[in-house]
Amino acid sequence: MELDTRLTNSMVKTGQNALLWKRFKKQKVLHVFVGLGMVFLLIFSYTPMFGIIMAFKDYSISTGIKGIFTSEWVGLKYFDEFINDYQFDRIVRNTLVLSLLKIIFTFPAPIMFAILLNEVRHMAFKRIVQTISYLPHFISWVVVVGLAFSFFSTDVGIVNKALLGLGLIDKPLDILTNPDHFWGLAVGSAVWKEVGWWTIIFLAAISGINPALYEAAQIDGAGRLARIRHITIPSMKGTIVVVLILTIGSILGGGLVGSNFEQAYLLGNSINNPTSEIVQTYAFKVGLRDGRFSYAAAIDLIQSIISVVLIFSSNYIAKRVSGSSLF
Amino acid sequence: MLRSQRQKDLLLDSFIYVFLFIIMLTMLYPFYYVLISSFNKGSDSLLGGVYLWPRSITLENYKMFLNDPNWYRAFLVSVSRTVVGTALGVLLTCLVAYALSHRDLVFSKVYFTVIIFAMYFSGGLIPYYVVLRSLGLLNSFGVYVIPTMLSTFFLLIAISFFREIPGELKESAYMDGANELVIFVRIILPVSTPLIATMALFLGVGQWNAWLDSAYFVQSEGLRTLTYRMMEVINKSNTPMDAIAAANAASSGVTSYSLQVTSMVVSIAPIVCVYPFLQKYFVQGIMLGSVKG
Repeated sequence: MELDTRLTNSMVKTGQNALLWKRFKKQKVLHVFVGLGMVFLLIFSYTPMFGIIMAFKDYSISTGIKGIFTSEWVGLKYFDEFINDYQFDRIVRNTLVLSLLKIIFTFPAPIMFAILLNEVRHMAFKRIVQTISYLPHFISWVVVVGLAFSFFSTDVGIVNKALLGLGLIDKPLDILTNPDHFWGLAVGSAVWKEVGWWTIIFLAAISGINPALYEAAQIDGAGRLARIRHITIPSMKGTIVVVLILTIGSILGGGLVGSNFEQAYLLGNSINNPTSEIVQTYAFKVGLRDGRFSYAAAIDLIQSIISVVLIFSSNYIAKRVSGSSLF
Repeated sequence: MLRSQRQKDLLLDSFIYVFLFIIMLTMLYPFYYVLISSFNKGSDSLLGGVYLWPRSITLENYKMFLNDPNWYRAFLVSVSRTVVGTALGVLLTCLVAYALSHRDLVFSKVYFTVIIFAMYFSGGLIPYYVVLRSLGLLNSFGVYVIPTMLSTFFLLIAISFFREIPGELKESAYMDGANELVIFVRIILPVSTPLIATMALFLGVGQWNAWLDSAYFVQSEGLRTLTYRMMEVINKSNTPMDAIAAANAASSGVTSYSLQVTSMVVSIAPIVCVYPFLQKYFVQGIMLGSVKG
């Protein structure tokens, strides 16, 4: 009896395998298509992922990709070196400050912008404002930095020219080079570039609100501000939480509003370097400019680990607090 | 009571309109300003005071831009990478997505796991650079268009799009003995115009705006892109131009700054041109993306 069931079980199993194989053969063209994608991901995503072990090795670029696996293990040598780097404190501080400032200022901005836009009753005006507001999202950071140059540089910047012309300042403001101004410049340009784009998602949340809620509130005597406070904002809660999780998860990379790397790299220069150098730009320069690959990979890895921890913990907290989560 | 409410509303409304109007100007004016600067004589711009319209109108900046082999070449490289990169990206992503859109595909769970994992984790720039180097992609045009051939984000969007296509369309083709490749090219792609347009626009904008690959994966001057040249000029805006350029500048009034704003206009213009289409499709794109794949 027992033998019998075991026998049938194995027969069913081989039968299933044969069936699976038959289906696979019938679908072979499709598997070739998917296979192309898998090969692509293997080369451009998974090989670099395995390559991260070079952070624990003495890797030299001349040994090519094989060298990653054959080079000598050095354990945490490069992690130690980074922590003891004389620039360590400054770079970590800059990374954290820039990330936090960007969240504080760029996260609420699209929410407020969406609420204001929703209060506009001239549809044409609303459309025009919205259309213009997300144009900067599609422009390269290089161009945005070029625009910043046109406005703030000490010799051709029109802000300086105008202020000088009006006699409000005696000498041009060094906004682009003064270390004290870098964070403001980075946060300001991030808001300018991305506020309109993130407004789209919040406006979509608002448009999903049942109009009957507003009518009922109006009958109960709620003014417009009260309706914003008690209906619009609470109804956006789900979207706000999801976007907040995404933002916090990617905070070290710059949140959702423009990468810290691009900003710090393009807006940074040798004069504002004390505040503009962040972990990513430092790893990049050490790696690709100085050719210290293992060291740079170790620096990168530290940041990646912190990021992954942030993603999972912000997701966990959001789940506990509000019941919305990504995964 | 009612009247004060109305007054409050009026106050609120005027605040909102004024505020939004100011925001609109802040977004728009920088673009307008570089546009008028690019049509203004370079040496005249340096005097300042050009705010609303060009003071000394000239086309010299654009002539100079087209005559300068570096700028002109960079423009061509940018155009070609955008066209080739976008075409390859759309093609491979759609092909893989089409296969994965079959609900009865064997091993599809494994495939999806591989894709999702690749979406969330990456090895970082340094190992990536090593891979590009081993493949011999460094310092070649391929580095612009090959590593961008598959977009995992659009892959998921395309899968959910293809799943919405009615099965009857394919069935009749199967009856006629068509194979999957024929079905994909002749039947699936033609009915997927909104998807392809969305992907092409977004991938195209990404290609056009990219600068990092040109700065670090390429050394040959002939392969530099427009964004890279722009970055270069912005970085060393104080260094003098080369001799020929300087000689021309003396007569035409073109300065390195006026060339910079001209290149910015050249870089922004194509995006503004496709903008109406982008807008039409990206709302669709966001909606497609929100459908769980």
